[in-house]
Amino acid sequence: MEYSVQIMSPAAHILFWFVMVMTVASAALVVVAKKILHAAFALSICFLGVSGIYVFLHADFLAAVQLIVYVGGIIVLIMFAIMFSSHTQEAGGEGGRHYLALGAGAATALIVFTSVLMMVGKLNQPLAEQNNRAYEAYQHTVGITAADLAAEPQRLGLGHMLMGEYLLPFEVASILVLAALLGAVVIVRKETKG
Amino acid sequence: MVPLAEAGVFGWLLGLFSFKLVSCLALAGAIFAIGAWGVLARRNVLVMLISVELMLNAVMLTFVSFSRALVNMGPQLSNPYAAEGGQIFALFIIAIAAAEAAVGLAIVISYFRNRQTVDTREIRAMKN
Repeated sequence: MEYSVQIMSPAAHILFWFVMVMTVASAALVVVAKKILHAAFALSICFLGVSGIYVFLHADFLAAVQLIVYVGGIIVLIMFAIMFSSHTQEAGGEGGRHYLALGAGAATALIVFTSVLMMVGKLNQPLAEQNNRAYEAYQHTVGITAADLAAEPQRLGLGHMLMGEYLLPFEVASILVLAALLGAVVIVRKETKG
Repeated sequence: MVPLAEAGVFGWLLGLFSFKLVSCLALAGAIFAIGAWGVLARRNVLVMLISVELMLNAVMLTFVSFSRALVNMGPQLSNPYAAEGGQIFALFIIAIAAAEAAVGLAIVISYFRNRQTVDTREIRAMKN
């Protein structure tokens, strides 16, 4: 069985790598920026980049949701919070020596990234093989014909899945968002005497 | 895929990143690592919240790349949920991240109104 290897045009390839580099660079800028407002701007660029990656992964709806919710909503919320909560807009005197925190953070980041890379490098080929083998076993047990294989696999849209299999989590999430909305209003509201 | 010992580090990485899944997972790993560093090393509560958002984004990216890889990789299982299952998870993560950001920023604003600081070194009202 052939694996369907996706081949991108050179232009798409260049765009893909540009978006990836932009995303990582802006993510790095988020955590090293001296002024916190700069961090928020870099964060919005990072979210834009992630949304672009979603487009490359054929998740168009998710890319739109990412733009609307993150760039349109959460970034604005964060900027409001920044402007409400700082006199100087400085990221808060980072001058003090906290080498322990810096070192621990750097070590954690390094370990996470290398382990992800090693894991992926180990997994990549066997994953395809295992998928193939499992599928053959499945085919053997269930008895799938060549006609079944040739047929386009059935795919449900996101909307059908949200309103069908995932209806309960969807409703629970809506209640959670409502509760968070009310909770945020209650927390921020000024105390009124009497 | 050539093993690491034969190809050398550079060739191994080059072969690794020719897969779109690997590139996206490495991107997600990098963003997650940067976010983890931000949470651990920065002293501003707002920057820490922003870093948590970065980490959530990395996790969503992982879900979406794996669900895309399930479509691309090998013969397709006739499971109609295989293709977009990861995107459903990402949607739920977005909803929960929005709720988390709203409540977290509300707490930060409320705290700043009472104590005039968002620095973790000075936030010790509940210590001891």
